[in-house]
Amino acid sequence: MFEMLQYGFLQNAFLAGILIALVAPVIGVYLVLRRQSLMADTLSHVSLAGVAVGALIGVYPMVTAMVAALIGAILVDTLRRSFKAYSELSIAILMSGGLASAVVLMSFNKGASRGFTSYLFGSIIAVSQTDLLIMAGVVVLCALFFWFFWRPMYVLTFDEETAQVSGIPARTLSLAFSLLAGLVVATAMPIVGVLLVSSLMVLPAAISLRISRGFTMTIWIAVLTGLVSVLGGLTASYQLDIPPGGTIVLLLLVILVVVLLVKRLFSRAGAASAGTERELAN
Amino acid sequence: MKLAEIRDVVFGYGQTPVLDRLNVQIGTSEFIGLTGPNGAAKTTTLKLLLGLLQPQRGRVELNPTGPKGKPLVLGYVPQNIASFNAGFPSTVYELVRSGLYTRKRWFGLLPAAEVARVEQVLKQVGMWEFRKRKIGELSGGQKQRVCLARALVLEPDLLVLDEPTTGMDVEARSSFYDLITHQVQHHGRTVLMVTHDLEETLPRLTRLLVLDKRIRFDGSPQEFQERMDLRTNNVTLPLYCCYDDEETKPRAAVQEGVL
Repeated sequence: MFEMLQYGFLQNAFLAGILIALVAPVIGVYLVLRRQSLMADTLSHVSLAGVAVGALIGVYPMVTAMVAALIGAILVDTLRRSFKAYSELSIAILMSGGLASAVVLMSFNKGASRGFTSYLFGSIIAVSQTDLLIMAGVVVLCALFFWFFWRPMYVLTFDEETAQVSGIPARTLSLAFSLLAGLVVATAMPIVGVLLVSSLMVLPAAISLRISRGFTMTIWIAVLTGLVSVLGGLTASYQLDIPPGGTIVLLLLVILVVVLLVKRLFSRAGAASAGTERELAN
Repeated sequence: MKLAEIRDVVFGYGQTPVLDRLNVQIGTSEFIGLTGPNGAAKTTTLKLLLGLLQPQRGRVELNPTGPKGKPLVLGYVPQNIASFNAGFPSTVYELVRSGLYTRKRWFGLLPAAEVARVEQVLKQVGMWEFRKRKIGELSGGQKQRVCLARALVLEPDLLVLDEPTTGMDVEARSSFYDLITHQVQHHGRTVLMVTHDLEETLPRLTRLLVLDKRIRFDGSPQEFQERMDLRTNNVTLPLYCCYDDEETKPRAAVQEGVL
């Protein structure tokens, strides 16, 4: 099994996978708790437009994808405040806008459509040394952000108004978080693919929320789930010659189903033993 | 000592003004009930006071220091916040401790005395035994107690509560009000609480404000009761019967046949 790691491209893919799995689930936990689960999807669609721009003007696609994701993040945050009562509207507007722009821009560059497919579904041969360096930079940025701001982010995530009353600059912090989410989405794209990048953020959070008991534990379980799914998914992808993005997400779904079933079994067993104790007491 | 003042504030959503020339002063060690009909802008008033909304005209002034000479500390418990966040993956202890994460406490170790206060307030609100529970596993009343503890952990000079007992049964409500009364009487805090539950709260309040676009009554609970009792033979009168504004009150009351 480890012989596959003798290939340079696979080493890059695994390194990239580990880097993404360290940050994407953390962002995902905050997105889910802030009721913004679809934001990653939106940003990935906007990033695709960035990739198309990059291909068209001859700039490194991950860089243009990151710029597009950052602009998308600012727009999501601004529109969310404009449509306060229907905040999900900002997601819908940008998602359709991003995809429409990507499709139109791609049509100007027909020769590159094969390359776009790898961005859509992910590819383990698509990760270059430059991508790895950019990813490492984003991971460091995320680590610094959460090191300095995890306390205000906790308060902000629980309740924005209380955060403001506590003197936390809620708007600035919220925007900074959205920008960070944009960067993570854009950098995760080459490996998981645009269409599935949000799953790598949201599914580990969903799994973790079912089993954890505290906030810190939620974050750690989400990261662990992300790592297991990325490493397992990449291995299966190489061994079975199937797309990595889809494999990683399917693995996450399997983990989610198993967790839900085990939890249900435990709660039934708990209810049954409580019933027996009551009968014995009577 | 004046902790806060709302002076001639006008505020509206879109073209419709919901507050017109609102004037309120808040002093120390007061337990103030804020009531009024639905849509009277009670929550809006709290948000203006806390700086979450900006007045279109007029001013909201908070005293820079509290009664002890230290910077004024505000505590806020929004309406139903814990129930809204029932799925939040936090233990009771984590949530109450987060009350300490204000501007100056973003990183580094928290002072031991402050961390000890988390235990102290959890015991005060009777939730210490539940500290390892997830907040989603608590009842509505317990969740509100936890949110109160979270606001109390910073020892606020002014505690603002927005209908904190919504959804609680009579017993839970009564014990919650006892907790608040204790905070006013024994810790010298000022509490401003939006409430519709006048029957339970009036005996505990030191002051009642009736709001309906502007302050229609501002006085002691005794004055309020006297005013309402004068016009009734054991009939529950509409709230506007206590309004200071003589123009609106009789017309509306006569229309409904209560005066």
